[in-house]
Amino acid sequence: MKTVKLFRGSMFGIYCLFGLTAVATSALCIYTVDRQLSREYAANTVVIARTIASASEDILLNRDLASLQSLLDQYLEIQGISYLYVTDENGDFIAHTFVPGIPPQILAEHGAGSASVTRQLTGIGEVIEVASPILNGLAGSVHVGMGTSLIALKIRTAVGEQVYLISILFILSIVLSFLLLTRATAPLHRLGVYARQLAGVHADTPDETHVADLLGRNDEVGELARLFRHLAKTKPGSQNE
Amino acid sequence: MTLRSTRWRHVMAVAFLIPALAVMPARADDPGISPQEIVIGMSAPFNGASRNLGRQLYRGAMACFLAVNATGGIHGRQINLVAYDDGYQPETTFTNTLKLLQHDHAFLLFNYVGTDPVTRVLPILKKFQNDQALLFFPLTGAEPQRRPPYDALVFNLRASYRQETAGLVDHLVAVGRSRIAVFYQADAYGRSGWAGVREALAEHNLRIVAEATYARGTAYTASFVRPVEIIAVDHPDAIISIGSYAASAGFIRAARQAGITVPIADISFADSDSMLQLLETSGAQDGRDYTQQLIHSAVVPSINSLDLPAVREYRALMDRYQPTLPPALSSAGDPDATYSTVGLEGYLNAQLLVQILTQLGDHPQRADLPAAALNSSGFDLGGGFTVSFAGGRNQGSDAVYYSTVRGGHVVPIDDWTPFTKNGSISP
Repeated sequence: MKTVKLFRGSMFGIYCLFGLTAVATSALCIYTVDRQLSREYAANTVVIARTIASASEDILLNRDLASLQSLLDQYLEIQGISYLYVTDENGDFIAHTFVPGIPPQILAEHGAGSASVTRQLTGIGEVIEVASPILNGLAGSVHVGMGTSLIALKIRTAVGEQVYLISILFILSIVLSFLLLTRATAPLHRLGVYARQLAGVHADTPDETHVADLLGRNDEVGELARLFRHLAKTKPGSQNE
Repeated sequence: MTLRSTRWRHVMAVAFLIPALAVMPARADDPGISPQEIVIGMSAPFNGASRNLGRQLYRGAMACFLAVNATGGIHGRQINLVAYDDGYQPETTFTNTLKLLQHDHAFLLFNYVGTDPVTRVLPILKKFQNDQALLFFPLTGAEPQRRPPYDALVFNLRASYRQETAGLVDHLVAVGRSRIAVFYQADAYGRSGWAGVREALAEHNLRIVAEATYARGTAYTASFVRPVEIIAVDHPDAIISIGSYAASAGFIRAARQAGITVPIADISFADSDSMLQLLETSGAQDGRDYTQQLIHSAVVPSINSLDLPAVREYRALMDRYQPTLPPALSSAGDPDATYSTVGLEGYLNAQLLVQILTQLGDHPQRADLPAAALNSSGFDLGGGFTVSFAGGRNQGSDAVYYSTVRGGHVVPIDDWTPFTKNGSISP
């Protein structure tokens, strides 16, 4: 079986449109997920920093750095948090979660402000760091680093799942459209054979069995079949004459 | 109702009441107390990188308990030490503690190991505060259980890490080693020791010159090259390690391989016996001596201090009873040393606990435990090692002992001049 040439262009156009839709949908998905996750993670990081800063007040006033470290270690278990550290009012590190050491970039650039900064750290990757003051900065500040790799991973996962679904739909649609077109074009093939017989290419007398079951159809195919049959009957040298 | 019938009813009531009172105990027993035994709960690492701590602590305590049980127990009750493995993981310690209190109905908790595991269960003790659930003699010198609001819920026998590190810093600074670096475990334990070093240095107007960390549970076989590199950059005069015995030994090996020859000191949690064993084994394989210029801080006397009756008793009871681990906690192919510093600490912990429990009398009540522990006369744990909680302190001992390795043996440091910055170090 084969499709008629008439539909090849149309099919190509449909497939292109389908592909364009898939690409556009994926791009929109990446943009939306990236924007929403970034906002969500940034907001969570701020909340975490504030929570630790609030909980640290009594701990710091009691000079209990072991409890402060325990607090940081518990928050480190939250997905996406790359590191936490606390500096005192002089900017000295008094607790942190870095292994095997504090990255030189953070040692050089850490501050007490609450504005978020984006860092590119060796061995950790890109991180959004948020700071929150303790006792309005009188007792230092808490810094929370949220890795953006998790956001990228979530985007990859979301887009990957979408592309996977679209690919399956695309393959299914190709198979289905091929079957439907084949079914739709089969009567045209038979009409073509009948027309060529009528034109005297292959036989003197057209074989009406090719179009017998098409004559009763009330669509364009039936109309063509009836027209060809009429032409066959009015053809010079026809048996009906 | 006539007077006669009322009297008759009273007589009948008394007649029924007397036998009923006779079969009732004078007062209800506390959890973990039965006529036959006293249940004591323990959670410690019996497997994993710090397994020797739990094992030796258990064996040392059992040497004492087996001896007490053999002579009739405490007021006729046998001591039943129920122990669970937590692998030095705080969450498992948390679960074990709930199990000990709610399922096993332990009378008290005892011999826990590690700062993070102990810190994790402190809120449980607070929750069960009205039930007088107390923890006795954890193997950690950290501060959280020595400070409010948990200081009333935990009794410590040993000196604190702050005291250990302060002593180390004072001695090192005194011999001219003022550029001190810290290698520590990245958790509450490491931070506790780090804070102790920092505060002690501040007393001398000094600061930590370099620091590096490692993750809890890191094995001896792991690479410690990177922490050594981080610390080496600042050329310290001495390094204080706040780690497990496995990690401290791994760091010492890597430091010596990197050519760092400065003294490396560690504190009591890094079991010196297990650490020395690892370093000697690696030294024999590599053809090097990794045990030079080591300083160890301990909170109990040396197991070689045979002049102390407590040490002699510990060794004798270990020989007599040879305590073994319960089948559920032991594993094949991992022999335990007969004597160890941690084992001695376990033995002393048990000795003190037995004395406290004995003071409770025939009807032990949890509520009476603090008063018994706070006995102002103090406790003699074998002549030469006395502890006291007088004045309401929840720490019985301030003793800190320093030792080094000479000729393959751990010996006390009586003279620090060999560790002078430009002095010779006697191997």
